[in-house]
Amino acid sequence: MSDVTERLPSFEIDMLRYRRRRVTSMVTIGLTTAATGLGVIVLGWILLTLFSHGLSGMSLGVFTKMTRPEGGDGGLANAIAGTLMLVGLATVVGIPIGLMAGTWLAEYARHSNLAKVVRFINDILLSAPSILIGVFAYQVVVVPMHHFSGLAGAVALVFIALPVVVRTSEDMLMLVPDSLREAAVALGCPYWRVVVQICWRAASSGLLTGALLAVARISGETAPLIFTAFGNQFWTTDLLGPMSNLPKVIYDYANLPDHSLQALAWAGALLLTLTVLALTLLARMVVGRNR
Amino acid sequence: MSSTPIPTVSRPTAVAGATATKMEVRNLDFYYNQNQALKSINLKFAKHTVTAMIGPSGCGKSTLLRTLNRIHDLYPGLRTTGEVLLDGANILGPEIDLNRLRARVGMVFQKPTPFPMSIYDNIAFAVRLYRNLPKAEMDVLVERSLRKVALWDEVKDKLHGSGMGLSGGQQQRLCIARSVVLGPEVLLLDEPASALDPISTMKIEELTHELRSDYTIVLVTHNMQQAARASDFTAFMYLGELVEFGATGDMFTSPTQQKTQDYLTGRFG
Repeated sequence: MSDVTERLPSFEIDMLRYRRRRVTSMVTIGLTTAATGLGVIVLGWILLTLFSHGLSGMSLGVFTKMTRPEGGDGGLANAIAGTLMLVGLATVVGIPIGLMAGTWLAEYARHSNLAKVVRFINDILLSAPSILIGVFAYQVVVVPMHHFSGLAGAVALVFIALPVVVRTSEDMLMLVPDSLREAAVALGCPYWRVVVQICWRAASSGLLTGALLAVARISGETAPLIFTAFGNQFWTTDLLGPMSNLPKVIYDYANLPDHSLQALAWAGALLLTLTVLALTLLARMVVGRNR
Repeated sequence: MSSTPIPTVSRPTAVAGATATKMEVRNLDFYYNQNQALKSINLKFAKHTVTAMIGPSGCGKSTLLRTLNRIHDLYPGLRTTGEVLLDGANILGPEIDLNRLRARVGMVFQKPTPFPMSIYDNIAFAVRLYRNLPKAEMDVLVERSLRKVALWDEVKDKLHGSGMGLSGGQQQRLCIARSVVLGPEVLLLDEPASALDPISTMKIEELTHELRSDYTIVLVTHNMQQAARASDFTAFMYLGELVEFGATGDMFTSPTQQKTQDYLTGRFG
């Protein structure tokens, strides 16, 4: 053993350099912790504010009474119903289309030039400002119909949810190892069945998470609904007419001086946040179950 | 199942091809885009025998195996010229029904690939591709295939548990059961035990030995000793060419080619 130490060239630690390294390390760790802390504190602050104001505005009446522009004895029933219908319709239309597109990109045309173009366009749509999508839906649905409608709102929401689902579906399906596909093909399984019964099943938790996240995203979108669904102070289930929706009502009420309306706005904001939170937790649970 | 550790294989010392030919490869060339991976391969696989393909990495043995069930068709840019005959008929034509071909020529891969479903469904999946069976018949079929791979006793109480929850060796046997339940005529085994521990490897080798009475088996292996233990015929490949082919006993004791001799004695590879 002593041979080894004897042969090594002796060198002395440069204490100045070493101390500088330690200081840099401590400063960096401190900064990253502070940044995390800032994010967590701000998030906590938002949630705390939401909960304290929202809970005080919450009552059974929120779910049973209609919105009233003049304040007083009102609720959010039609807004909640409207959001449920708009998000529901957009989900039913947008998610299957997105899943099919993502499946095509991952399973059938993975390396083709057309697939590259589609992915590129999808990424652009993914980061398009939501108000642009709203204006587009206005031009395409509202103008020909000559009035605002829930349908136009749902169309706008579809175009916001679609690129999210396409992207997540493709990514999740790409994670399924080729060995699984080969094993199914080697049994003589036709390729569409490999996709449906093996690939979708193997990627199921990821696909579901992508869908849930898309739903969570569109539940809170306001800008695309301003020019499309517009808003409605009455209860309506007619998609061909203007429809109330929660984000729009929150926006309107937050701007008014009436305290009871502002309390309702807080309650609405809390409801939206809780919905998004529930969907995200659900997505995590689904992933956890399949581990 | 015998309790002796190494099964003794009765090696035919007759010339290769003395028994009826099940599959044959004639003048086969294979290209990965511009790269030629197989050069003029001529080879016969006799019925109810185990043929091992050995050779160093990159010699083309897995590529050759995969031409036998045309799984290369999944990937664009790959070209095959020549003939591959199953019972005398060329399977490389465009008119061949690939799904039915693969029902006759089954394949087990290096990495065990249980499907994301229950053990029962893994096997039922294969059956349901071709037939709709009532539950009673399906149960019988599942049990028979699991018994054939010596897995029944280990999983009979958890048939509805996930296939992915089994150990590596059990998963691989499940994959073999899945291939076997279709009643194929040929079984292609691509290094089936290379990802497994020695005890599982031994079980797979014993299984291979037992299965040959019902199927024609082609086995690719990195492990020369495994080829010596488990096969009747051996093909030695090097850099895309078939260097030597013969009865295993003869090849391992007195190979005719210098390269074969060098590989078997560990000079390279």
